Amino acid sequence: MRYIKWGIFLLLALLTFGFFHYTLPQHDVVRIVDTEVRRVDFGENSIFWASPDTGTDTAANRDVRFINAVYENGRVMVYRNEDTGWGWPPYFKLDSSNLQTEARDLASTSAAPQWVVIRHYGWRNEFMTIYPNAVSVRAIAGPDVQIIPWLNIIILTLLVLFIFWLWRVWRRFKERRIDPVLDDAAEAWDSVDERADAARDSARGFWGRMMAWIGTWRSKPRE
Amino acid sequence: MFFQIARLAFFGFIVLTVLYVILSWYSRSIRRGKLETEFDEEVKTGDRDAFIKEGLARYDSSLRRKLILGVYVVPVIVVAALIYVTNFM
Repeated sequence: MRYIKWGIFLLLALLTFGFFHYTLPQHDVVRIVDTEVRRVDFGENSIFWASPDTGTDTAANRDVRFINAVYENGRVMVYRNEDTGWGWPPYFKLDSSNLQTEARDLASTSAAPQWVVIRHYGWRNEFMTIYPNAVSVRAIAGPDVQIIPWLNIIILTLLVLFIFWLWRVWRRFKERRIDPVLDDAAEAWDSVDERADAARDSARGFWGRMMAWIGTWRSKPRE
Repeated sequence: MFFQIARLAFFGFIVLTVLYVILSWYSRSIRRGKLETEFDEEVKTGDRDAFIKEGLARYDSSLRRKLILGVYVVPVIVVAALIYVTNFM
């Protein structure tokens, strides 16, 4: 039982981390090599693609803009450049065409490199053929820039504070609304049967109390 | 486009309403707790329930409670700002 509990906990932690790692913006320092547009037929990987340009129609396949780039160390990265529109993730990106133009304008050769910072979210995965979605691009003087992810710091801090607040709300709700009911139920139970003492002892933890609470909804055993 | 905006507004409204209800309950509960301590430590005489009831009635018509409606206003402003920053800056 302990292993199952930890397994579920670990899985949840991994999913949460993955979710935020995919959704929150990241910055890459790259050199743009080329931009292109090619048609994509979405298959099993369709969840990893965003929406068609806002205002246009949705079809089974469509043309997607791509930005091809090279890191300082020579490794390559390909970004897709899609509208997220009004859907998830909430970047409200509507200007993919403009971004494509900016990227094209900043394209350079290895002989005369123009370094840029590409803000993006998402993952590159060759097995699934998925690409990170570029959100914005800006030119920088050289590849040695220090980027502080202010937005991520703010979002994650607010999230932690929000979860802490929710936890306090839950504690208060339990204290004021659930515990009195539980205590009443436990007292009534006591008068019915002395064995309830043992049950109440085992109902100390969060789950135990929840189960005891749910238990109060069940019909009492017939004598 | 309008369908997508309507969908966002619809689900946004549901989520924000849940948040609004939780926040309202929490804020009122905090106020009730404060009134309880105030009565127990300072007032001490008279009807405790009536004192709390009156205090909560005052809270119900206060500006502080109406500020919770900001739950609906702030996200709209944030989205508008995001659209501007992402696309037009």
